Order: sequence, then C-alpha cells, then structure tokens
Amino acid sequence: MDARPVGDPLVQLRGISKLYGRGDAAVRALAEIDLDIGRGEMVALVGPSGSGKSTLMHVLGLLDRPSAGSYRLSGQEVARLSGSAAARLRGSRVTFVFQAIHLLPSLTAAGNVELPMAYARLPRAQRRTRAREALERVGLLDLAQRYPGQVSGGQAQRIAIARAVAGGPQLLLADEPTGALDRRSGQTVLALFQELHQRLGLTVVTVTHDPLVARHAQRIVQLEDGRIVSDAPVTDRLLADGADGERTA
Amino acid sequence: MNAWRIALDSIWHHKLRSSLTALGVVIGVFAVVTLASLGAGVRNYVTGQFNSFGAALLTVTPAPPGAQKSLDAAASGNRGGSARGSFGGGGGGGFGSTPSTLTLGDVQAILALKSAHVAAAAPVADAAALVANGNLDAPGATVVGTTAPYFAMSNLHFASGGVSAGFSTGAVLGQAAAAALFPSGGAVGSTVSVNGQAVPVVGVLAAAGSQLGGDPDQAVYVPVAQALSISGASTVSEILVRADGTAGVSAASAAIQAALALRHPLKDFAVVTAGQILSIIQSTLGVITSVLGGIAAISLLVGGIGIMNIMLVTVTERVHEIGTRKAMGARDSDILVQFLVESVLLALLGGVIGTACSGLAGSIVGHAVNVPLGLTASSVSLALVFSVAVGAVFGVLPALNAARLMPAVALRSE
Repeated sequence: MDARPVGDPLVQLRGISKLYGRGDAAVRALAEIDLDIGRGEMVALVGPSGSGKSTLMHVLGLLDRPSAGSYRLSGQEVARLSGSAAARLRGSRVTFVFQAIHLLPSLTAAGNVELPMAYARLPRAQRRTRAREALERVGLLDLAQRYPGQVSGGQAQRIAIARAVAGGPQLLLADEPTGALDRRSGQTVLALFQELHQRLGLTVVTVTHDPLVARHAQRIVQLEDGRIVSDAPVTDRLLADGADGERTA
Repeated sequence: MNAWRIALDSIWHHKLRSSLTALGVVIGVFAVVTLASLGAGVRNYVTGQFNSFGAALLTVTPAPPGAQKSLDAAASGNRGGSARGSFGGGGGGGFGSTPSTLTLGDVQAILALKSAHVAAAAPVADAAALVANGNLDAPGATVVGTTAPYFAMSNLHFASGGVSAGFSTGAVLGQAAAAALFPSGGAVGSTVSVNGQAVPVVGVLAAAGSQLGGDPDQAVYVPVAQALSISGASTVSEILVRADGTAGVSAASAAIQAALALRHPLKDFAVVTAGQILSIIQSTLGVITSVLGGIAAISLLVGGIGIMNIMLVTVTERVHEIGTRKAMGARDSDILVQFLVESVLLALLGGVIGTACSGLAGSIVGHAVNVPLGLTASSVSLALVFSVAVGAVFGVLPALNAARLMPAVALRSE
C-alpha cells in the first residue's frame, strides 16, 4: 500500500506556479511544481512556514487559482475554472478540514455536516441520511443537534471531518488538522483519517509542519521556497491509537 | 440553501445592531406612509363633503368670455399646469368681479329645456338689505333671493315651517339669523322687516354649518322677485342647477351651455360642476402631498444608507464565514443572495414596523381631528415595496463585496 499506485493519477500538477503581487514586488509562492497523487493515497505536505505548502493546498482545493501551469483532477483540467465551476467541485469532490475548524456557529452539528451538500443542491432527505451516516462514522451521532459552541475542540474537528466526508469526496485536504488540538484529540483525529483512508479508500492530503503528524501518511512531500525538495514514501509509518487498519508500516 | 433562514439567524444574533439599522428605515417609512395616508384621508374627507353637498350640482356663474374653456381643461385631468394655473389664479373669487348678465329669463330658459338631465334650477340673487324684528336686528345677515327648489338643492332642511306651498312671498331664516331676530323662538308666523317692508316668516332652517360660497345659517332668504326689487337690479348673481344624478352632470352642463349661448352670444358665463371644483381641489392636495412625501422619502434614503453601512461592516466581520461557505461549495451567487436577502429583510422589518407605527399614529390623530386617517392599501403596499427596494439597492454593494471574496483570501485573513 505504501508504494505509489501506478495508472491514472487523481491529481496531476504540471508546472504549477503562484505569484503574489506584481512586478519587482512579486513573491513566488510556488515555482513550477510537478506532482502526481494517486487514488487512495495518503500524502503529507511538509515544510517550514512560508514554504508554499498552504498555497499548494489552496490550489489543490480550488480555493485559489495558480498563476501558471496545469492541474488535472481525475483527468479534468481545473486550473482555470470559472468561479461557479470551481465552487461546484469544492465541497463535493474536493473537501477540507481546517486547523481553525471553521464550523458555522449558528448551525447545529448536523446542519454543518449538511452544508456542503446543501450548496451542492442535494435533496433534503438525502442530506439528512448522509449527515447521520457521517456523524455516526466519526462517533458523534449523539451530538448531532448540538451547536459548535457546545462541544469540545476535538469533537468540533471530528464534526468538521464528518462534514468533509459526508458528500463522498474524491480528495480530502487537511490543513494542520491537529494544530489547534491537544495531543489526545489530535491522535483521535489522525486515527480517524487513517480509518477513513483505509475503509473508504479516500485520498487524503495533509498539510503539516509536524514530522510526527506527517509520519501517519504513506508518503511525504517536502517543500521549501515553493519547490518540492523531497518526495519519498514513509518507511516507519505511525498508526494512531484507535486506528484499526494495517499494523505494519 | 435557505437564505431566509440564514438571514433571520444573523439578524437575530445581532439584535441591537439589527434594530438600530432597521430604525432608520422605520423612521423613513413612518414619515412616508403617514404623509400618504394623511393626504388620502384629507382627500377622502373633502370628497365626502362634496358628495353630501351635492355632486350633481352645477352653478352657472358670470365669467369673462373663454373662462369655460380653461375651466373644462383644468377639470378634465389636463395636467399641463398652465390651464390649471390660470384657473387657480382667477378662481379664488375672480369670476365674482365679472358683472353678471344672467337673468330670470335664463333660469326660465334652462327650465324650458325640459332636458332629462336637468332636475331643478334656481336663481340666486344677493341683495343688500337690513333685516330687523322690532328693535332686534341681525347684523351678519345676508339677504338672498331665490326660489323654492333652492333649499333642497343646497341640502338645507327646515327646522320649522317650509316652502312646500311655493316661495312667492315671505322669508326663510337661517338658524343664526332666526336666533338673532327671535331669541325666544316662534319665528314662523311672525313678521320681520326687510328694508322696512313687513315680510311674514314662513320657515326657519336647521343649522347647516358653513358651506363653500356662503353661510346659510346667517342668511335670510326671500323670493327672488323681492330681492331684485330691493337691489333694483335685473340680473341674478348665479343660477344653481341640479342634474338628475352624477351621471347626468356633463350632459346637463352641455345642454345649459348650448341654451345659454343663444341668449349670451358673448359667452359671458361659465357652467361649473361640483366635480370640476372637486378635481381642482384634489389636484392641489395631490401636489402638496407629493411634495411632502418627497421630503419624507429623503429620510428613507438616509435609512437605506444606514443599511448599506452596516452591511459593509457585516461583510468585513464575517469574512471567515464567507470563506468557510465558499470552501463548502457556496457559489458567488449563493453568497450574493445570502447578503442581499439579509439587507432586504432588515429593510422590510423596518418597513413593517414603520407602517404599524404610522397606522397607530394615524388612528390617534384621526380620532383627535375627527377625520378618518387610516392606513390605505396603497400606502401600505407603497411602504413595503419601497423598503424592499431600499434593502435591495443598498444591499447590492456589500453583497457583491462578499460574493467576490476569493475563498483562500477569506480563509487566510485573521
């Protein structure tokens, strides 16, 4: 499993660059990135702050447009999609888990989980069912009617994970998902990612500066100054407590 | 996505801010609706007065040649302004200065028409005369010569006595004149002296209140022939005609004009209908109402700017929410609609409260001045349409700002 899958990659980046600003003041956040991520891979993007890993995640997640280059998502060119076309992919095919969690405080846990499916115009009954399933999967079905202010940080992040997987995405992007959590909650979240990856075959890309978090993935891509400086499989993979997947690295 | 729910939630979560924002619209809508219903109320009141006075009445008055034409133009809804202006300028009492050439023969001519549309006609001849009862006199009394049909046409009722046997001799006293001449009552059957001539009192009128063109309570009515002999004139001041209903007014007017034109080749008369007078008063009221309404609309504009201001702040405050929603698949249009609905809802809330306040104020003031000043369907719908428009117009810019945020930028900003 930790070998790179061959065949049609889910993500194919070619010459992706991102510039902020113009002229002499321009900052190159990404410099001609080439990267393939296969279906069902679990990848960690690591690097010091300012290395461009968050920018790369924003490009992968269609939250930002690259200045140059090609981005194919399951074969479809998406680098220069219109705003509404990108919005259609966000939240349904590509979903997010953020460090700051970003649950909407005025919605219940179930309401938050339903939100991306509501924007994808899924029928209400279908949203309800899928939200229940997703909350059950993260073990928080009993908190479905709670508001984000009434749950702990770890629980909130698990609700956010339920929100990310409920619609059945192809690619889950996690930006420092354990950054705001204590060690135990962090372990639970990492275990959940490994389980979702294992059970659903979900492609997971985690952005982190924490080498320990990175070692929960199968492959680590390291960035520095907007370039990939190393890309290697994890030989000593960590399995988070509670993850009932493979026990061998 | 239920934009209404989101907007209601957001408004509810910021109660103080929302109510202060809506207050601007409350005041604006209150001012506009109150003025509109005030205008409508006064207009209805005037119309009601006219209808009780007699919408089927026509008055033939002396007038300079050509006056009829501008009068007709003014009343037929000609909003050009010039015709109305010229009549308005001369109408206040302008025709009164034109020497009358109307005679009893003209009254006969009108009656001789046997037109189906002319129900009755009566001359009105003002005479300067002293009326007394012994050493009691009626200083404010005006002597008016007329014929029997006049009383019913002018909506005057008898308190005692009457002219059912015709009005060829005697005098009819208005309420106030009777009280001055006969303080202890018993006027009917007594005599009064009109310019020294003893005249039997045949009737006393019930109190009528002041009317357009005179005060019947102060009047002493005598047969027209007697009034003409007192004043030594052969012309009457005006001729009052009643059509056989409001529908017959214009036909009666045309028939009278045709008949009198033969007798007055100079066309030195005008036939004024009650409707013409009414429409001139109404259009004047309409102008006043719209000018005041325009001033009130300025406060609504200020309220709208208040909404825009708060919505701009709201967008800045909720950048993270916008970023999250966009990351969850919200399209620009979803965000646009969300914020637009919120500003429209805020404005609508203000509009509803303002309308309710206006209704309350209208009924209180209406009770006090005894003029019905309720909300009208048109003023309520005007207010609601206005407030929705204010919310939409002033919400567009903030909503566009929100919709155009790039999700990565929105999520990154701290």
